[in-house]
Amino acid sequence: MRLDPRSVPYRAGASTARLLWAVVVVALTSQLDERVGLTLAGGVVVLFAAAATYQLAYYRRFEYDLADDTFDIRSGVLSRRERDIPLRRIQNVDTSQNVVQQLLGITEVRLETAGGDETEAVLQYVSAAEATRLQDDISRLKRGDANGEREEGERGTHPERETVFAITPRELFLLGVVSLDLRLVPVFSVVAGVLVPSIAVSTTPFGPMGEMPMSSMVTSPLVAISLGTVALYALAAAASGVVTATNYYGFRLSRGPDELRYERGLFQRYTGTIPLAKVQSLTVDANALARLGGYASLTVRTAGYAPGDTEGAQSAVPFADRERVWALARSVEDLGEVSFERPPRRARTRYAARYLIGLALLTGAFYAVTRLDAVWGRWWLTAALVPFVPVAAHLKWRARGYALLDDHVVTRNGFFLRRTTVVPYHRVQTVSTVQTVFQRRRDLATLLVDAAGGSGADARAVDIDATVAEALRGTVEARLNRALAARREQRHRERTASLTDDP
Amino acid sequence: MTALESDVQPLTGPTRALDSRVRLVWAGQALVTALVVAGVVGTVAYALEGLLWPAALVFLVAVTLGVTHAHLRYRRWSYRVRESSLSLDRGVLTRVRTVVPYVRVQHIDTRRGPLERATGLATLVVYTAGSRGADVTIPGLTPGDAADLQTRLERLAIAAEGEEAV
Repeated sequence: MRLDPRSVPYRAGASTARLLWAVVVVALTSQLDERVGLTLAGGVVVLFAAAATYQLAYYRRFEYDLADDTFDIRSGVLSRRERDIPLRRIQNVDTSQNVVQQLLGITEVRLETAGGDETEAVLQYVSAAEATRLQDDISRLKRGDANGEREEGERGTHPERETVFAITPRELFLLGVVSLDLRLVPVFSVVAGVLVPSIAVSTTPFGPMGEMPMSSMVTSPLVAISLGTVALYALAAAASGVVTATNYYGFRLSRGPDELRYERGLFQRYTGTIPLAKVQSLTVDANALARLGGYASLTVRTAGYAPGDTEGAQSAVPFADRERVWALARSVEDLGEVSFERPPRRARTRYAARYLIGLALLTGAFYAVTRLDAVWGRWWLTAALVPFVPVAAHLKWRARGYALLDDHVVTRNGFFLRRTTVVPYHRVQTVSTVQTVFQRRRDLATLLVDAAGGSGADARAVDIDATVAEALRGTVEARLNRALAARREQRHRERTASLTDDP
Repeated sequence: MTALESDVQPLTGPTRALDSRVRLVWAGQALVTALVVAGVVGTVAYALEGLLWPAALVFLVAVTLGVTHAHLRYRRWSYRVRESSLSLDRGVLTRVRTVVPYVRVQHIDTRRGPLERATGLATLVVYTAGSRGADVTIPGLTPGDAADLQTRLERLAIAAEGEEAV
């Protein structure tokens, strides 16, 4: 098969556009008379022609073929490359379309396998219909492969897909409201650094000293910083809210026989497959705001993505009613009832001590700032936060929990961002217990159950009793071995059954 | 299963400590760090106040801490090749005990840094697909031990095959 012919002008245009900045620089630095203008226009035409020629060669040389059990690609203009990817190894088939590509009707297709740091194969670009066909056919062939038999009659027919989740405008709006992208905070802190002093001055109803000049009328670093934080959060939330809302616009999740498929995005359209047989871990996230409204999100991790890749791509449900999220999580991994075991009560004193030390350091820093005459303020106002320390410690303790179910480890952590992680025993990579100096003083330890699938794929039972943690490490390992043996057994049975069924 | 167990049995072993020379490697690393830190402190102190003793003091403290830590670290370190998993116990301030099931082993490397070559030691690195990276290393092995352990772990990983590593 060839790529879509429309990919030739698009790729040529895109590569010319990447060089246009040079033209802009020349146009801006030289006198814009007719001669220069014509030369520039001619240059752009030559550039485009060269790019188009190369892209035409690329198009003619690029061939792919979906065979029964491999995906083959032959490509390369100057150096040739042939690549065969076993279908069984393919984890995800993702597509994306930006606005221009949507208008042209072409789509980029990416095939992800578990190994390596980058995508195994990228098709730039095929028609939208062809992208859907590839997704369908690859999952159909994979399924046929998994069952050890392939029925000719099945070819060409689409397996039944049911929509399991479609985001409503209300949910999309709320998702935008509650999602705070911390990566945007540094950008806004620059803005806030300029704004906060003037905000603090204009919103302070009482001047600490009547005669002080305006510039030093900031009441306290505490007030300035809390105001700054609120402003920062509001700005960042607004910006990231808009970004998130366009990213998840029109989100729809459907379920095929062995996989989930999502589509989303306003300006940039994405679709992707999440093979259920390759799920490494599930996480249910809800920040404090989302919890208040009874909402949560579900992320399904497979090993197809290199760490450091965008995490949003694996998001199974970006925002929905908590009950629905858990119902969907349960349909992916059969969890049953989850009742969490809390860490021992003595763990709370750790958090209280930690917060008190933090507060002391903060107060010290404020004191140092006021001593330097940079700001005239009431540095001791931070003491007002002391009564909140036990409350915060209690909330942090309450948020933690772990449960060892029949087939899964489930852990839960975090008050502001609560994350519940589910790792099936048969996906466990390593099991560790970690004890810091401070944990040893209280006879506590952290159990780490690591799975593949990038950062956030590991389950942590933080600050549980040290003896219990030690025992659980053995339990998880034993259940891993038991789960693997059970899976081997089942596969063997299936294979035997399919052999005896055949005439 | 019994056939497999009898195959695997001779490959396993009791809890082992590291070679005591590993203390030299760690102490050497501490020495290098101490030199760098003392150099920075010394330059600043000399440039600002014309003093030399802060550098000497920082160096002494850093070396003492480093050597003590190297010794304690060596005493804490142990590993055991068990029937279905490799188990490690290590850490002075933060104590870490890890179990690596052989079914999850992707590949096994040995490597030798300059200090290790000088002391005649090697490090074994066991890679898994886990999100915590290629974190599972056993330092302080003689090259012979490292090669032997590598072969044993490879055979154990092959014996544990039957499930995809990821």
